[in-house]
Amino acid sequence: MNEPPFHKLTPRSIRVWQWSNSIRSLFLFIIPIVYAIVIGWDGFHRWIVISISILAFAYWLLSMFLMPYLSWKNWRYAIDENEIDLKHGVIFKTRTLIPLSRVQHVDTRQGPLLGYYELASVTISTAATTHVIPALDSVLADRVRHQISTYARLAEEDV
Amino acid sequence: MSEFQRQHPVAALSRAFGLIRGNLVTIIVFLVFGAQSDSFSFWWWTVGGFAFLLIAGLANWWRFLYKVEDGLIHIKSGIFVRKNLYLTNDRIQVIDITAGVIQRIFGLVRLDIQTAAASSRAAAIEAITREKAETINRLLRRGKAESSEEDEQGIGEKPESEIKKTISLPNKELLIAASTSGSFGIALSVIGTVFSQVEPILSESHFYEYLYDHLPSQSDTTFYIALVIGFIILAWLLSFFGTLFNYGNFTLDVKEKEIVISRGVFEKKRITVPFNRIQAIHISEGIIRQPLGYASIHLESAGYGDDKGTGSIQFFPLIHRKRILPLLNDVLPEYQKELNALKPPSRSLRRYIFRSTVLVALVTGAAWWWLSLNLAIWILPLLAIFWGWLKYNDTALGWGDDMIILRSRNLAKSTAYIKKKRVQDVSVSQSPFQSYRNLCTVQIYVASGDRGKSFSVRDLQLEDGLSIMQQIKIEGSNTTIGQELEPALDRPIVQLPGWA
Repeated sequence: MNEPPFHKLTPRSIRVWQWSNSIRSLFLFIIPIVYAIVIGWDGFHRWIVISISILAFAYWLLSMFLMPYLSWKNWRYAIDENEIDLKHGVIFKTRTLIPLSRVQHVDTRQGPLLGYYELASVTISTAATTHVIPALDSVLADRVRHQISTYARLAEEDV
Repeated sequence: MSEFQRQHPVAALSRAFGLIRGNLVTIIVFLVFGAQSDSFSFWWWTVGGFAFLLIAGLANWWRFLYKVEDGLIHIKSGIFVRKNLYLTNDRIQVIDITAGVIQRIFGLVRLDIQTAAASSRAAAIEAITREKAETINRLLRRGKAESSEEDEQGIGEKPESEIKKTISLPNKELLIAASTSGSFGIALSVIGTVFSQVEPILSESHFYEYLYDHLPSQSDTTFYIALVIGFIILAWLLSFFGTLFNYGNFTLDVKEKEIVISRGVFEKKRITVPFNRIQAIHISEGIIRQPLGYASIHLESAGYGDDKGTGSIQFFPLIHRKRILPLLNDVLPEYQKELNALKPPSRSLRRYIFRSTVLVALVTGAAWWWLSLNLAIWILPLLAIFWGWLKYNDTALGWGDDMIILRSRNLAKSTAYIKKKRVQDVSVSQSPFQSYRNLCTVQIYVASGDRGKSFSVRDLQLEDGLSIMQQIKIEGSNTTIGQELEPALDRPIVQLPGWA
């Protein structure tokens, strides 16, 4: 299968993922805290709480320093007048193909975190599924959105 | 018809009954709980509840207004929040006139107006006279015909298209469908719930002692076995009659542009599916039905099929394998295909067996060890191995000029036929173990209702997954399919459908 011209995401997406992952992974520490409050903090249980905390901490470190880099390294996207091709996944690798004639609508989204780094995500919806290109330069994201919607209009068809 | 009108007052009753039926299990549990406690003025609550439902139904009826003008139906509804719904005839897919139990008692009908969008579930007039329904139908249809002429389509759509063919379900098949129905498990759980509520009353009323005296049993064990068997028979009867009433009077009317599926003995259900909204069909052979040679056919439609908001529609409840192809030939000729399909390579057999066996084996081992059960329990993992082998054996992926077939088994064996131009997206994924063995999972999404439905096959050779992707790509760019895409034929190939 001949490979389309794949693009990478901007390296700034690593920063965004580091922030969002570190915030999300903090919630994992709720598990040992709740355990300690509900069941107790003596003898045997202390060791369980400590080991869960260590696991959560290790996960937190990984999600902050390793995963963003790996996901950035594995993300590829390609868009031409016929289809959108997405390739991603660190451990479970997935390649998705969306024919442009199936695209119902496309929009760009920007939260405060993405906004700080001048990035935006592009959301592509078909009648069945929704796909996201997670972090593009906001200028580029607008261009991609425009391009997809132009192509999608050209390929007007029923459902 | 250009004035706002109310429905027939029976609509209030029909809505109240609809609410009761929708919450039947909750209500039964509530009633049984209520009957048990003394502090709870149970009858007041029941009477109050029914009165409330009736008042709500009346208020709904009072606030529901509709009018038809210029090929547009305008519905105002809602007790506190007023909803205005405008449906123009060029968006209306289907107008269905049906009669439920309550409607039939009063000689009325129900009018359903369906569009492709979610609002269509709100656009139903519960109870009006047949003449009024026909008038609305005519007014909306006439506007539609005129506007399509203005669009210079030149087809000159007939207001009521002719029924070209009617297919019904033979009684023998209906009985087999009912007796092998999959709703058996659901019936069992309903009985279980009710029983767990009723059980305290029974044990107080010497019911068990009565049974114990009259059943031919010598020990506690046989007594309990008899009880369990009794339950299973009861559940089976429940699901048997449930299915019988649901699928009795099943008919399939094939028209110019749509199929009308009607079924139901007491309450008639009617589903209209326009041909151009059919996205995929899948044939499912249940674990009990398969040895008997029977299967059921479902289809996925964009736009609403049933009241649950999904587009999955039971197209034919039960059909003998041999008659599937003739039926498709009659009704959906473009799906009547025989294709070559590729099976997963033999190296993925061990993955299938591992996946289906590992959990069963662990649980069995634990149960055997801790509960010190009979050695015979180890038959379960053996069955699981066989199940894994079955799953491997039934998995296949095939394609032709315009069609993709995916076959897989969970408990039931299911074969999906998807037209390439109906595919919403396709993805090929690999876990680390799959990529080590050069295998992949293919998942294909089609539109169904307001969301999608996916069909997938696991552990195929990676190249096969990629060539499916290539196929979709080519269909998307509207070029003809080249010969170089023919798969290399040095691997096991099965003919699909296998019942031909």
